[in-house]
Amino acid sequence: MRPGPRSTVDRLDQPSAYYHNRNNKRRRNDHGRDGKDGSKDGDTEMTDAKPEEPPEDPLKNATTLYVGNLSFYTTEEQVYELFSKCGEIKRLVMGLDRFQKTPCGFCFVEYYTHQDALDCMKYIGGTKLDERVIRTDLDPGFEEGRQYGRGKSGGQVRDEYRDDFDEGRGGLGRAIQAERMREAERNRERDGHHEDDYGRLR
Amino acid sequence: MSRFHYPLKGHRRINRSSCLPRGCILRFLIAMADYDRRQPGGGGGGGYNSRKRRYRGKRRDRRLANGAVTDDDDYDRRPQRRRYDAPAHVRIRKQLLGLAESPLRRWHEDVQSIAQLIADGHDDQELQTTFLDLVPQMVIEQPLKIPFVAAVVLVVNSLKPELLDALLARITSTTEQRAKEGEWRDVKLYLKFLACLQSCLEGDGLFSVLEELFSRAVDLQTASSDDTIGTELVKIILLTIPYILAAAPSTQSQQKAAELMDKTDIIASEPHALQVLIDPYHTESGTESPAANMSLIGLLQKQLQNEAASGWSLSCLPRPWRMPLEEIEQQEKLDNAKKHTLPTISLPEKVTAGPRPLFPEIYFSVYIHQDVESVPTVNNIASSIIRDALLDTINVLHFNRNVTARFLIDADCYFAPGTFIKRATPFDRLREVDGDRSSWKPEDVAVDAVFSQLFQLPTPEHKLVYYHSVLTEACKIAPAAIAPSLGRAIRYCYQNSHCLDLELNYRFLDWFTHHLSNFGFMWKWTEWVEDVNLPDKHPYKSFILGALDKEIRLSFAQRIKGTLPEPYQALIGPEKEQDTPEFKFNNEHTPFSAEGKELAALLKRKATDEEIQPVIDHIHSAALDQAIDPLVTSTDIFMTAVCWVGSKSLSHVLACIERTKDRLLDAGAASEAARAQIITAVMNYWSSHPGVAISIIEKLLNYSIVTPNAVIDWALVSDRAGPYGQALSKAWVFELVFNTVVKVTSRLRQVVKGGVPEGLQEEITAMRELFKIMDDALVSWAQGTKDQLMDPVVSDGGEDLVKRWGERWLRVFRRRSAIEEAFLNENQTLVESA
Repeated sequence: MRPGPRSTVDRLDQPSAYYHNRNNKRRRNDHGRDGKDGSKDGDTEMTDAKPEEPPEDPLKNATTLYVGNLSFYTTEEQVYELFSKCGEIKRLVMGLDRFQKTPCGFCFVEYYTHQDALDCMKYIGGTKLDERVIRTDLDPGFEEGRQYGRGKSGGQVRDEYRDDFDEGRGGLGRAIQAERMREAERNRERDGHHEDDYGRLR
Repeated sequence: MSRFHYPLKGHRRINRSSCLPRGCILRFLIAMADYDRRQPGGGGGGGYNSRKRRYRGKRRDRRLANGAVTDDDDYDRRPQRRRYDAPAHVRIRKQLLGLAESPLRRWHEDVQSIAQLIADGHDDQELQTTFLDLVPQMVIEQPLKIPFVAAVVLVVNSLKPELLDALLARITSTTEQRAKEGEWRDVKLYLKFLACLQSCLEGDGLFSVLEELFSRAVDLQTASSDDTIGTELVKIILLTIPYILAAAPSTQSQQKAAELMDKTDIIASEPHALQVLIDPYHTESGTESPAANMSLIGLLQKQLQNEAASGWSLSCLPRPWRMPLEEIEQQEKLDNAKKHTLPTISLPEKVTAGPRPLFPEIYFSVYIHQDVESVPTVNNIASSIIRDALLDTINVLHFNRNVTARFLIDADCYFAPGTFIKRATPFDRLREVDGDRSSWKPEDVAVDAVFSQLFQLPTPEHKLVYYHSVLTEACKIAPAAIAPSLGRAIRYCYQNSHCLDLELNYRFLDWFTHHLSNFGFMWKWTEWVEDVNLPDKHPYKSFILGALDKEIRLSFAQRIKGTLPEPYQALIGPEKEQDTPEFKFNNEHTPFSAEGKELAALLKRKATDEEIQPVIDHIHSAALDQAIDPLVTSTDIFMTAVCWVGSKSLSHVLACIERTKDRLLDAGAASEAARAQIITAVMNYWSSHPGVAISIIEKLLNYSIVTPNAVIDWALVSDRAGPYGQALSKAWVFELVFNTVVKVTSRLRQVVKGGVPEGLQEEITAMRELFKIMDDALVSWAQGTKDQLMDPVVSDGGEDLVKRWGERWLRVFRRRSAIEEAFLNENQTLVESA
């Protein structure tokens, strides 16, 4: 991405492995970009994967950033307040739950210049917004449809099977929540029978 | 397994679906880690996006702990394979980059072992290329390590002197190139490196280069008193001298240095014409600025003279080229090593300022007014040497704030032992330090350096948010050490918020709140509790109000309230906790309530213009009946309705503005009063959330629905932003005006840089007019001739405060104006052709 000899320290304004992996390996034609859905090991091993010299780097003049790990409660105004510190924002697209049309923890921030986007990678990515460490990644640009989560239940994929309790992102993963609810239901039914039986025996 | 041994090129990617057994992959990864350790040491901070580094780090720890490669797979009982050794050039890179990072300070051992590797590998082409490329790169990317890299080179010279010819040629030609481009920092860093090599240079060595630089500086300074390049050159000379004297402390060097300093004295001691413009303090007339005698080169000149008088002890500088007594053999070899002729570095015919405009510099410190010395005093050369090295580190490494922060935390590793007190020593304990030992806190020195950039006028090299992020990272790495230092810095700035330059005051506010947002909004508000009862116009109270507003913008009112002691609670009213302000026309008693509601309903269902017009017409005729301005009335109702309909989020209101922009454009163009009313409507609707209002106004400016002049007029001339000059004390009013001015000036700069003369003259005229309007308004506030201020009926004893605010505003925008004029002056040819 950057000509010249490699620096003696890493640069923070490089696109993440996600982008390259996606472009290089899967070539999926779907929307959104929330799914680090592969197992962790896989991602780790492929961090250094480089695209096979694409004719033109689509991120060369990127002005858009994908912003991840937001709280569902973070508002556009908060994003504006923080991200304006790197330059005027041209457009902000909040990521929404596909079904409920409520924020689901990511957004796209578009600046007027590529430099502002790079600066945002360097100075804002990995810092806190609304008391959560947020993630930024260079993005080739927003397209209609990408504002929606790609998870089964409408949110981001990562919020389906997450087994840590994250209050800012709706607690446990939704699939796990649903599973627990079913289980609780079953238990209640079973316990209910139990008690009935117990009572009857008495 | 042989395929996993060197060479590994083309094997970077490891496929998860590989059919190899787990143990093999792990060992392979370990070998890879050795071969391809991208950033060995290097401050230790990787990109937060890079997961692989973390993984490797874990591996490495395990290996170090066990002394051999063992991995998770205890069940793998095959014999351990010999560890794969990286090729020499890879090891050299790793070791050079990690130089001096260890707090163990085995400088001479590290230096000798690296030098030995380089000398032994004199016929290894790859190794020599790495050496030749990496040394100059380290000099400009990791300035704190310059003396250590130089020590390696000096030892190499004692082992294989012929290796130095290519290196010196490379460094001098690059220096020449950088000088041509006006990249003066790079020139300074290369010269600093060469200064550390002075002992292996023939004759006068680097002094002749400094002489040449000085003669250029004289030419420039005699040509113009406003010249800043000459000042910069003198600064470079003065900052290079101590390194020469630390490297080659001969009487001959001292003699040369004295001669040079005699000459620089005239330039360095004369206060620069531009200095008043960039003084970080703006004291009341009659009192002297604390920075009045803090010109950077003026101080340097004096510090060097002090140092010369005391025999050039230069005690803070590391001397890794000095071997300990037990290494007497190596020391002898060093002393008797071959000397080289320094290739000539010719300066360009016409020197340029480079990509960034140069300004004279002022030494700024938030700690020099303390009763105990937690940072070097301005009489001590250490203050300049350390600050200079830290600033270069900070500004060069803008692309990895984690590494920058690491360097700042480790700053004591790169200076002579005993320069600083032990890390994280509490400030109160400094009093107990013995007289002859240093009481300089490394974290104070580091924080001070970052603050000097945050408070740099006219602007620091990078966006302000970069310096915010460096402080955030430093605080994350070593909270116990950094947080108390920041606390004292904050107190200093707060206590001086009446006499800091107003622009810097705003920067401080912005940093303070952004910083708190990264650390749970925790601050000891109790210590300012008494200031809560000050009038809102008081600088302290103004700061508190501004800070709470900014905190709320980054979070939400309830959360911030929860962090505040009781006396502050009243400052955050219930209206701040309300996300969507009331629509005033929902109240039956508001005039035109019915029309307001009707317009809102129409806007909500995205009705056509034809449906809206009759309501507007109706408002107009009703207003005429009541003898009020019809257009102002309808504009207020319409714009307020737009705000309310779009109150759900900025996207909503922007979409609504987009749909109604033609109507708004017409209204804005129709009369000055209507234009002002658009702003008033937005500001009134969002009065409890000025941040939202400012964002909306910014977009209205982009659409040209309101003009910059209208915004200035609204904020500073009319008293709509706060009666009786109160507007001037509000941080958000400053923000609104400042952003508007920046929008205008950066647009003009863009046009100039675009190089197209068409339309340029109009832009210039518009900008000058804007500054003129501001000046007129602010002068009348500053001099107390403003009508509102003179009205005795409304007098509340705060006139002096208002006058003072007026003066402070005036200074900020006069400076802005001067800087823009200077910019136009530099691009005169284009401006004239327009």
